[in-house]
Amino acid sequence: MERFADLLIAAVLLAGLYSTMAYGLGLIYGVLRIVNLNHGGMIMAGAYAGWYLHHALGVDPYVSLLPVAAVSFGVGILVYRLLVRRLPRGAAGGVQSLLLLFGVWLMVRNAAYLMFTGNDQTLRTSYATRALSVGSALISVNRIAVFGVAVAILIALHLLLTRTYVGKAIRAVAQNADSCTLVGIPVERIYALTFGLGTALAAVAGLLGASLFPFNPSFGASELLKSFVVVVLGGLGSVAGTAVAALILALVEVFAILVIPAYLTAAVGFVLLVLVLVVRPGGLFGQRVLG
Amino acid sequence: MKLRVAPWIRPRPAIGLLIACALLAVGPLFHDDVYVHNLLTLTFVGIAAALAWNWLGGYLGQVSFGHAAMFGIGGFIAARVQLSLGMPMLISWAVGGLVAGIFALIWGHPTLRLRGPYFSIATIGVGEATRLVCTYWDSFTGGSSGLSLPMQSNLKYTLYWYGLVLAALALCASYALRRSPVGLSLLAIKSDVDAASDVGVSSTRLQDLVLFLSGSTMGVCGGFYASYFSYIEPGDMFGFDRSISWVLMGVIGGIGTIAGPALGAVIFVLLRQYLIASYPQLYLGLYGLLLVMVILFEPLGLTGLFLRVVHRARPDLAVGGPVIEGPAPAGGPPPPAETRELK
Amino acid sequence: MVSPGGYLEQCKKKWFCYRAMRTRTVALVLCALAIAACKKPSDQQQPGQGGSTPAAAAPATGVLIGATLPLTGAESRIGGFYKEGYELAFEQATQSGGISVGGQKMPVRLTLLDDTSTQATAASLADRLINSDKVHFLLGTYATNLVEAQSVVAEQNNIPYVNGGGAATAIYKRGYKWVFGLLAPVELLAESVMKWVDAEQQAGKLPKPASIALLWENTSHGKDFRKGITEFADKTKGYKVTVDESFELNGKDFSALLGQVKAARADLFLADAHLPDYITMQRQYVTAGLCHKVISYGARGSEKQAAEALGKKNVEHVISAVWWSPLLADKNPEAKKFVEAFKAKYAGRTPEWYQALGFETARALFTAIEQAGSIDRKAVREKLATMKIPSLLPGGELTFPKEFGQQTHAPFVVQQNMPDGTAPIVAPPDSATAKGIAPNPNCAK
Repeated sequence: MERFADLLIAAVLLAGLYSTMAYGLGLIYGVLRIVNLNHGGMIMAGAYAGWYLHHALGVDPYVSLLPVAAVSFGVGILVYRLLVRRLPRGAAGGVQSLLLLFGVWLMVRNAAYLMFTGNDQTLRTSYATRALSVGSALISVNRIAVFGVAVAILIALHLLLTRTYVGKAIRAVAQNADSCTLVGIPVERIYALTFGLGTALAAVAGLLGASLFPFNPSFGASELLKSFVVVVLGGLGSVAGTAVAALILALVEVFAILVIPAYLTAAVGFVLLVLVLVVRPGGLFGQRVLG
Repeated sequence: MKLRVAPWIRPRPAIGLLIACALLAVGPLFHDDVYVHNLLTLTFVGIAAALAWNWLGGYLGQVSFGHAAMFGIGGFIAARVQLSLGMPMLISWAVGGLVAGIFALIWGHPTLRLRGPYFSIATIGVGEATRLVCTYWDSFTGGSSGLSLPMQSNLKYTLYWYGLVLAALALCASYALRRSPVGLSLLAIKSDVDAASDVGVSSTRLQDLVLFLSGSTMGVCGGFYASYFSYIEPGDMFGFDRSISWVLMGVIGGIGTIAGPALGAVIFVLLRQYLIASYPQLYLGLYGLLLVMVILFEPLGLTGLFLRVVHRARPDLAVGGPVIEGPAPAGGPPPPAETRELK
Repeated sequence: MVSPGGYLEQCKKKWFCYRAMRTRTVALVLCALAIAACKKPSDQQQPGQGGSTPAAAAPATGVLIGATLPLTGAESRIGGFYKEGYELAFEQATQSGGISVGGQKMPVRLTLLDDTSTQATAASLADRLINSDKVHFLLGTYATNLVEAQSVVAEQNNIPYVNGGGAATAIYKRGYKWVFGLLAPVELLAESVMKWVDAEQQAGKLPKPASIALLWENTSHGKDFRKGITEFADKTKGYKVTVDESFELNGKDFSALLGQVKAARADLFLADAHLPDYITMQRQYVTAGLCHKVISYGARGSEKQAAEALGKKNVEHVISAVWWSPLLADKNPEAKKFVEAFKAKYAGRTPEWYQALGFETARALFTAIEQAGSIDRKAVREKLATMKIPSLLPGGELTFPKEFGQQTHAPFVVQQNMPDGTAPIVAPPDSATAKGIAPNPNCAK
């Protein structure tokens, strides 16, 4: 029973991280219909940014969240304006956008390798090993903080998308971009904004990941796949839907250790990905909208 | 006396291929540089693998990031069968290829219903899951220790000619898959699956065919690789980096073209050998840059670049036919061949 | 589409028919590239060098030794350390005018290439070193799978391959004659840890029988470690392995796994991991409030990087077994010479086992050449096979026993991290510099 509670808490906390990772990917896909393979690269970039700020300037990772988010927002807009904008939109651009952003990911990976070498880095703060006791379990302070940030992002994103003009414009463009031009919404700008926002969310997720796990330039690959599982599972129905899907993934991954050898639990996410893609009926991303 | 061959086999490419093969086959008699000889052997298997990838990724338009799964399975089956059952090398490759092809069918048949990027993402999942399971599966792959084949002293040298035959066969298959009526059907499927079925193209059967061919050729390449190195281990065979290398070879060389990926493979192997000396870890970033350039400016990669040069040099030449377009075009049907031929 | 007849007519008339030309030209380009590749000369021109084995008489250019190391890629940090060891050995040889071959001093040169921690590259580069650069002998690379792949190439070309980077017994079980290993097998590492644990158990410090939670990285290193532990446990019957799980290399989240360890309530925690996984796992271990009477991560434990990443307090009392320790300099004269030379060359830095093994590997090859009195490969191989020289390795001697496939079985030194930040040797007794502490005093609950 104690074991069960431990696993449950671990899963819930992990779900926070997974949902933060997934928002960025889902947002970009929902609005631009582009699978951002550079999502992994931006997660890694966020991790390195947070680590570097802490390592060189002593800035606490949670404090550097906002600056890193702001800078990656700008980077996202830049990538959009320079590269993504030239791609054909819609189903025809599918594989091309995939490959283009994959190429960008390779370059980002190489840049990180050249700057920081391929060695693993850890973000070690003074409170890295401190734990709070919740009931019978001991939970790392870091994990609680990450969960807190994830919840804050969930609320902020929901408010953004439902209460602000920009958010409603984003949802409108996701529904039908052509009609938006008719009613005077600057579609290109919304695209750029969304891409920037998605990139910023990825970088934030990376920073949070860095405070929990070690990372190197190859960081982000399995995170990308898990984000994809969450997005596909939860659809683009709502921000809360993504959170629920993240919880499902985290629960499956964590509880898998009770039935399969520990080594193979790493494969659970991948198998789930393939199953979800294959089994879920046609119209995966259909006409569902953000809301 | 006229040879009766299928009408879609043009004489000139066939002759060209024969000449190239003849030259390469007798080449080793004129030099004794063992290193270059071995390098060419690796290039041959790279060519075959890149072409096999292209059948799925270029002809069918389903880009796979997980082809290392078939490569690894073929390699380990071939090695296992040689070790435990004492099968001769060529037969073990065939068995490895067969099993790899069947494996491709198992995961590919349901997954091919997905279009475009979803299929690609699913293939990453398949590749990684296969790697993890096979690394865990000690009795099959030897786990992380891998499998060691008994060493045969002259094998590596003679593998050159086996590799040459493999690459030539893959090129022939590439040509056949493209130029034959099957190729036209594949093109139809790539452009629009539903419309293709409407006109009577049995898309599922053809997709399965391509899947099986692609997977089994990959498997044979894996077996070849195992025989060449005499030692294979799962982390290396099933690695994601390996899957990526075929995507790079295919796209940069010319995705969907007949011989483009072969060119991509040659460039890849050669560049890697020479970059490694001076800039060891730059090559991934360089390829990323090339990939971005290709996607933005020249969808057919190096082959497309070459075509443009030719077209500019000899605009009177007949350009077109069902061969030129790359990935599903953006603004509707490709510019019809008529407009160019009217020049 | 233009009528097929018309197009074919055009095609037949023009020799330069476009579509056919493209395919043919691609084939020709391939040809040309292949020929161009053939024409590229290798960098070093060796006078008087023919095909395979060089003649016993030495050419004027000296002894050429080739090696690859992972200077970039996953193992680049350790590759750099091995490079330091190699370079120190070569520098020492050069300073004394070279190595004496049959009475004559010959310069000795190292051709070092980067194999980027990739197996295919390591094998291809070995091929190149032998066939293109025409080296006389090979030194090994680091990491078991790379060594295993390279050793095949060495054996195929009948060239001595001396390595200090591949520990798996699988490499040496193939009956190869040209491959020599200075790294003792990881099973022995596990056994060394268990022997110390056993001694503590005999002394009543640990319960009998003791339960073991065994976690191992799913690499050949981890597999061999697990084998060593389980075999020892089966043999001595004083231990029971209650948790036996593997985890992926560079795994991130071990919380579920550690949860299993916690639920098992074992006495001893024995894991095998590479440095990044050690740091991650130990951090999560401490955060989860876990504590065991004996904690070990195999060969990891006393690395400075770990103490920095985790904090001194969190690595206290961790037991590790390594192939060599600088503390051996107290009692082993060869080790002392090495440590002093290293500190002199590298600005007072203390070497770890990587540099020591690299150095000793090169030195072993030099010694064999000197003993053979020529650079004939067969002669040098004979000397390596029968070698018995004083060495900086624990035990003080270097041999390549035939019964182990020419892999050294030098003993390991077991270290323990002390609260004051040092990591003294606690076993074997003849090299020990301090007494080990068991059970872990931090677990007093």
